Amino acid sequence: MAAVSYRPYFSAGLKEWLFTTDHKKIGIMYGITSLIFFLIAGLSALAIRLELYQPGLQYMSEDAYNQALTVHGVLMQFWWAVAIWGSFGNYLLPLMIGARDVAFPRLNALSYWLFFAASVLALLTFLPGNHIRMMWTGYPPFSLNENAGPVAFYALIIHMLGASSLASAINLVVTNLTMRAPGITLRKMNLFLHAFLAMNVIQILGVPALAGAVTMLLMDKYFHTAFFDPTRGGDPLLYQNLFWFYSHPVVYVMILPAFGLISEMIATFSRREIFGRTSMIFAIWGIAILGFMVWIHHMFTSGVPDWIRILFSYTTVLIGVPTGIKIFNWVFTLYKGSVRFTTPMLYTLSAIFMFLIGGLTGIPLGLPAFDIAVHDSHFVVAHFHYVLGMALTLAVFGGFHYWYPKITGRMYSELWGKIGLVIIMIGSNLFYFLQFIVGLEGMPRRYADYPPIPEWVRLHELQTIGAFILAFGVFIALANLILSTKLGPKAEDNPWQSPSLEWLIPSPPPPHNFDKIPHMPEDWDPYNYEWLEKQHKKA
Amino acid sequence: MAHEGTHAAHHETSVWALPVGLSTFFLSLAAIAHFTWHLPFLAVLSGGVGLALLAIGIAGWANEYFSKGHDEGLGFQGIVWFVFAEVVIFGTIFAGFWMARVTHADVWVREWIPQGGMNLALVALLTLILWTSSFTIWKAEHSIEEGDLGGYRMWLLATMVLGTAFLVLHAWEWLHLWHKGFTISSNMYGTGFYMLTGVHASHVLVGVLMQLVLLINSGKALNKKTPARAASYYWHFVDLAWLLVAGTAYIVGSYGKF
Ligand code: HEM
Ligand SMILES: [Cu+2]
Repeated sequence: MAAVSYRPYFSAGLKEWLFTTDHKKIGIMYGITSLIFFLIAGLSALAIRLELYQPGLQYMSEDAYNQALTVHGVLMQFWWAVAIWGSFGNYLLPLMIGARDVAFPRLNALSYWLFFAASVLALLTFLPGNHIRMMWTGYPPFSLNENAGPVAFYALIIHMLGASSLASAINLVVTNLTMRAPGITLRKMNLFLHAFLAMNVIQILGVPALAGAVTMLLMDKYFHTAFFDPTRGGDPLLYQNLFWFYSHPVVYVMILPAFGLISEMIATFSRREIFGRTSMIFAIWGIAILGFMVWIHHMFTSGVPDWIRILFSYTTVLIGVPTGIKIFNWVFTLYKGSVRFTTPMLYTLSAIFMFLIGGLTGIPLGLPAFDIAVHDSHFVVAHFHYVLGMALTLAVFGGFHYWYPKITGRMYSELWGKIGLVIIMIGSNLFYFLQFIVGLEGMPRRYADYPPIPEWVRLHELQTIGAFILAFGVFIALANLILSTKLGPKAEDNPWQSPSLEWLIPSPPPPHNFDKIPHMPEDWDPYNYEWLEKQHKKA
Repeated sequence: MAHEGTHAAHHETSVWALPVGLSTFFLSLAAIAHFTWHLPFLAVLSGGVGLALLAIGIAGWANEYFSKGHDEGLGFQGIVWFVFAEVVIFGTIFAGFWMARVTHADVWVREWIPQGGMNLALVALLTLILWTSSFTIWKAEHSIEEGDLGGYRMWLLATMVLGTAFLVLHAWEWLHLWHKGFTISSNMYGTGFYMLTGVHASHVLVGVLMQLVLLINSGKALNKKTPARAASYYWHFVDLAWLLVAGTAYIVGSYGKF
């Protein structure tokens, strides 16, 4: 093949971006869209916190509060916690397996454009009269009620997102299974890729359940079908079952790749292979499979029979085991490793710490005796903000910093990176830890108002302050990343000295990634740091 | 396992994903304009734009696929994974149907089954048609593997004719039942019946459209055989699903009033 002139994607014109099928550009497009929606969702969260600062209604009507909460929930889950993996996965998968692109590059572009179309639809719901106010869960019979807002928007947005996720998941699973370069066996594959593979399999099996649920909602609303109408033989619980059959596994769609990033960064910055690597792989698949067997723990108060609640309580507690294995393995990897406390490493350690708190509060939530008392309280909200809001977001931000030199070819400022993280950690813990307490004291979730109990007022004030500190930290972290694309010093190709394949090519990667498909030698491994040293000595 | 990456330079951009993606936006907008905004003109306009974009996008995409690059054989695995997802989609409606069938068995049999029961002879005919079409598409796939382009075209066309016949007969059956007062909103039998058979029929329609795309591009099919294999696999799935769909919607549904 004739030598392709080297042209990093930054200089690409608009047409090249619009029509691109390059996985790296598509990954960046996912990332930017995801971040924009992360900011919108974050702003709506600040609005919510402002309203809760004092009892009574100060800034918003109840309807506006419902809309803000729905926007926050839907955008954070689908545009941030799920879609951000479209960014990391697209960018990293072909690089890590030594491929030039994904299996179906055009389908990959279509996945992005479906996601984009869903994004535009989501923005249209901000038009007056189109506000969705049914929360991210959209439970009937409430969602079929006029006050809940247009079901058509809710359902079609989820359909489009689902089509996008499904196309992307199929594409990336096939890529992963069939396009690995010679020498990259499943055993040697990066742990992120194992997690990402499991995530995509969950998507393939789970997304259709949610699609089915919202299709029924759409049909009930506009074609007067009977799915959720008990007077004609329907059952609203059907919706809850289908919804959680996907929406519990989706928390692993969100967190498994985050675990993957954590594994990559812990290994690199301890200069050690992850402790118990095989058990890590089994834990990933264990979580993925068990994840489909716990959904009733979201329905302990929905009137399901006792024996089912007990059964699902056991499976829920059981899923703590593979989760615990992963945490122990990360900690053991640090032991005797030569640890470097770079910004991404600090993000990673913070993510593990926050996950620990979130995970440990998940276990009691899995016990009906406790959950019935705190279900739909701020305790649950704090639980998922530790695991999702914090552990996931910290891992993602860690990943932003870690692959920053790879993607941009420049280095961010370590100092500002660390300052941002410290502020985030202070703000988030102030905010979410107190949320546990006010939740235990009985504060229900999804209410715009609360009784003026002096202790509650104080707790809410502090939470709101925490939320604004957190937002400030996020602002610093993002400002550092954005400004450094211009101001940062040029980065080396492999600043962290990792033998993982994406670091063995120039930064940013050339358009076709690899001029020749690499043949990885027997002694290479993405975590074999001695191999890399030997290569340096040879050179 | 390991597969040599084979994407050459011209794969870097393609204009066709964008129009297909945007078409879904316009189609959704049409639905929203119709259902919640009650703006029929916008609905028709947006729907028209959406359909046009979709048709152009798919035609261009297929043409580009068939004329550039070479067959990498990955599409088959893609369809296999897609079928897993399809099974879950059908599963959701089955779940609703069966739950209602079990919990409301009494009223179901007493009141919900349409007068005179279901037309099981017609079901047998529909089944026969679909099974025959499974055979014809297998013949089409076989022909293209052998390099017999004429046979490929003929068997594809036969499959399309059978698929279309299935759809027409099925639509006739729906109209018939609907006029008897058995509608999608009557009760959970009506809902389950029309949703199961409707979702299934929509899959038949997609299958026929796939075959149409294959037929149009059959001139270039000899060096790109994977799509034929994938479409055939998909069609077998649709035919197999029919067994469960028909068994549930007709036989389980009207059992007690044969
Ligand atoms: C050790 C693992 C975990 C256990 C045992 C667990 C358990 C639970 C339980 C029982 C609930 C239901 C509480 C209620 O509504 O009354 C819940 C809610 C939730 N969990 Fe977890 N969880 C775990 C990990 C995670 C992870 C990793 C995530 C996300 C990354 C997550 C996200 C959520 C969310 C979003 C909700 C609330 C859903 C809603 O009602 O809107 N959880 N968790
Ligand atoms: Cu759950």
